[in-house]
Amino acid sequence: MKKNFDFVGHLKTFLIISGAIIVVGILMNIIFGTKMDVAFKGGTQLRYSYEVQPDLDKLETAAKEILGQNAEASLDEVNNTTVVSVTLPSEISTEQQDAFTQKLEKDFKDSKLTNFSSNTLSASMGLKFFLRCILAVVIAAALLLVYVGFRFRKIGGLSAGFAALIALVHDLVIVYFSFVIFRLELNENFMAVMLTILGYSLNDTIVIFDRIRSNSRKMNAPLDEVVNLSLNQCLRRTIVTAVTTCVAIGTVAVVALVMHVDSIISFALPMLLGSISGCYSTVALSAPIWVRWFKKDVKA
Amino acid sequence: MKRTPKWSFFIVAILIAVLSFTALFGVYTRYGDRVDTVIRGVDGIRWGIDIRGGVDVTFGPVDEKIEVSATQLEGVKTIIEQRLVSKNITDYEAYTDLANKQVIVRFPWASTTETPEEAVAEIGQTAMLEFHIGSETDDKGKPTGALVLDGDDIESAEAGQNQDENGNLEYVVQLKLKDSGKKAFSDATKQQAEKGTISIWLDDEMISNPSVKNHIANGQAYINGMESVEAAKELAALITSGALPFEIEAKSLGSISPTMGSNALFAMGIAAIIAMVLVVALMIGIYRLPGLVASIALCGQMAATIAAVSGYFAVFDSFTMTLPGIAGVILSIGMGVDCNVITAESVRDELRAGKTIDSAIRSGSKNSFGAVFDGNITVLIVAAVLMGVFGSSNSLFGFLFSWLPVSTTGSVYAFGYTLLIGVFTNFIFGVWLSRVMLRSVSRLKIFRKPWFYGGDR
Repeated sequence: MKKNFDFVGHLKTFLIISGAIIVVGILMNIIFGTKMDVAFKGGTQLRYSYEVQPDLDKLETAAKEILGQNAEASLDEVNNTTVVSVTLPSEISTEQQDAFTQKLEKDFKDSKLTNFSSNTLSASMGLKFFLRCILAVVIAAALLLVYVGFRFRKIGGLSAGFAALIALVHDLVIVYFSFVIFRLELNENFMAVMLTILGYSLNDTIVIFDRIRSNSRKMNAPLDEVVNLSLNQCLRRTIVTAVTTCVAIGTVAVVALVMHVDSIISFALPMLLGSISGCYSTVALSAPIWVRWFKKDVKA
Repeated sequence: MKRTPKWSFFIVAILIAVLSFTALFGVYTRYGDRVDTVIRGVDGIRWGIDIRGGVDVTFGPVDEKIEVSATQLEGVKTIIEQRLVSKNITDYEAYTDLANKQVIVRFPWASTTETPEEAVAEIGQTAMLEFHIGSETDDKGKPTGALVLDGDDIESAEAGQNQDENGNLEYVVQLKLKDSGKKAFSDATKQQAEKGTISIWLDDEMISNPSVKNHIANGQAYINGMESVEAAKELAALITSGALPFEIEAKSLGSISPTMGSNALFAMGIAAIIAMVLVVALMIGIYRLPGLVASIALCGQMAATIAAVSGYFAVFDSFTMTLPGIAGVILSIGMGVDCNVITAESVRDELRAGKTIDSAIRSGSKNSFGAVFDGNITVLIVAAVLMGVFGSSNSLFGFLFSWLPVSTTGSVYAFGYTLLIGVFTNFIFGVWLSRVMLRSVSRLKIFRKPWFYGGDR
C-alpha cells in the first residue's frame, strides 16, 4: 500500500514557502518597480518619414540615451507614406522632443528622418478599465461563491469557495510577481496570462473539493484524513494535468526562444510559472487551508 | 443499459477527421475563375492587430475650430469602440489626444468584401437620427417639418423583416422607443395617420419616407426600405451605439506593423504543432487506449474551436483572434486534457479495484462526471462575467450588464469568447464523444485486455 502524504499536516511549511515567495516578490517590486505599457498609462508617439530605412534597434537605443525611456520603434504606413514610429511610455516636453529629433538627424544622416507627426496618447486602458476589472472580479467572485456554496453545501460550500478564492489570489499574485521579477512590461500579455491562470487555478481546485465531497459521503473519519486521502487520490491527476500543461506551454516558450520572438516569451514564461503555482496551490494550499482555517471546530 | 455499437468509434473518429480537415483548410468551390468559400479555413481567421498588424486611423473634428472637452472626446472614443465591436472587431487600441482634438484608433484588417476606407467611413459616421413630420425641405435640403424623435429617444434597434404594401418581404430596422419618444411618436402618428408621412433622416440625408397608416401608441417604430439584411444590421448597430457629439472625419489613414513582431504567428503555429504531438505522446504513454481516445477527442475540440473562431460557414463573420483569445484556447485545451485525464484516472482506479473492463468504464465515467462538470461550470461563470462586463451591450451576456456605463475592452471579450467555446466543446468532445468512443472501442476483441486501460495485465 502506497503511503499517503500528509498535506494538511504540512500546511505550515507550505504557508512559509508561499509567504517567502510573496515577500521576495514585494521586495523586488519595491526595488524594480512595475513597468507599464502605453495602453495602461499613456505616452507619446513620434513619427518620422525617411528615405533609407533606419535600424530600429539603434533608434530605440538613441531614444533611451536622450530621453531615458524604453522606446518601441516600428515601421508603419500612413497616408501611403512609410514612416517609423517611436512609442514612448510617458509624455515628453517639446524641448526633449526637439533634442531627440536633432539627435536623430545627426545619427541617422543617411536615412534623412523628418518629423511626420507627434501625438500625446491618453491611456487607452486607464482608470475606467481598472474599475471594470475590479467590478468583474467582484461579480465573478460573488457568483462563484454562490455556485460553489450551492454545489458543495454537503461539506459547507461557502467556506470551500473562500478557500478556492485564496488559492486563486495566491496564483494571480505569483503571476504578477513573475512579471516584476523578469522585468516585463504589464501589457496585453499580462492580461492574457492573468485570465488564463484564473481559469486554470479554479478548475484545478474545484476537482479536489469534488473528491472531498464524494469521500466524506462514504467515509467516517476525521476531516483531516478525508482531505489527505482525497488529495493523494487526485495527486496523479493533478500532476499529469500540470505536466501536460507545462510541456505544452514550455514548448511555446522554447520555440519562441529559438525563433527570438520576445513577445511570446514574455507571455509563455509567466504562464509557465502561473500553472506551476496553480498546481502547487491546489494540493498545498486550498484544501489544507479549508480544513485548518474554516473547519477547525468540526470533528467529523 | 443499451450497449454502444462497435462502429460508433469509427464514425465519431471519421467525423472528427472531416471536421479537423475542413476547419484547417476550408472548402472552396471553383466555377471558372470564380472561387467561392463554402467553409472558411484557418487562413480566413481575422488575426488581431498584435499578431498581423492592421489599420491606423486618426479621427478629428471636421470643423477644426470647435471647442472639444475631454468628456466629449472620451464619448467619441467610446462610441467608436462600440461600433468596432459590433463589426466583430474586438481587438483595437483607441487613444484620445486632447491637445490635437483627435482620437487615434488601430484595428486589425482582413481582406473581406469591405475596404478599410469603407469601414473607416462607417465607423466615423455621425449617425444623427431624426424623425420629421412630412418630407418638405428648405433650399439647403434640410427637413422643415417638426422634429418628432431623435437618436436619444431610442432604446434599441434591431434588424428585421417586414411585409410591404404589396405583400413582399423587405428588410427593416425595428426601433424600440424610450418613454420620452413613445408619447411624441404616438402624437405624431395620430396627427399624420392616413394623410401624411413621417420622414427618417440620418446625418441630414433622408433614408426613408413612409406614409403613416395607423396611430402607433406602443412605442414600436421601424425604418423600412433597407437594401439588404447587412444594410439593416449596419444601421441598427449605428443607431444603438448612439450619435457622435460632433462631426468627425479621418485625418489620416495608414497601416501599422504587428506589435508582437512579424513572425509571432508562424512561431506560434510551429509551437502548437509540436505541443500537440507531445501532449498526444504523453496521453497515450500514460493512459494507453483512453489516451488515444482522448487525443482524437482533443483534435476534434481544437478543430471545433478553430471553426468557432473562423466562422466556419462562410455566412458567419470571422471573430478577431488576439493573444488573449489564443490564451483562452490554450486554457480550454488544457481543460480538455484535464477532463480526459480525470476520466482515465477514474477508469484505471476502478480496474485496479478489481472491476471488469465494462463496469470500470461505466462507473469510472459516472464517478468522474461531477468533477468535470463543476470545474467547467465555474470557468463558464468566469467567461460569462468577462464577456458581459467587457463586451458591448448588444453582445452575448452584455444585456446583463447594460446598467453599467458604456465601455468595452475587446481583447478581454475575446478571451471570454474562446473560453466559452472551450467549455461547450469540452462537454461535447471531452465528455460525450470521448466516452462514446471509449465504450465502443472497448468492445473490439483485441482491446479486451485490462492492460489497455491502465490495469495491471
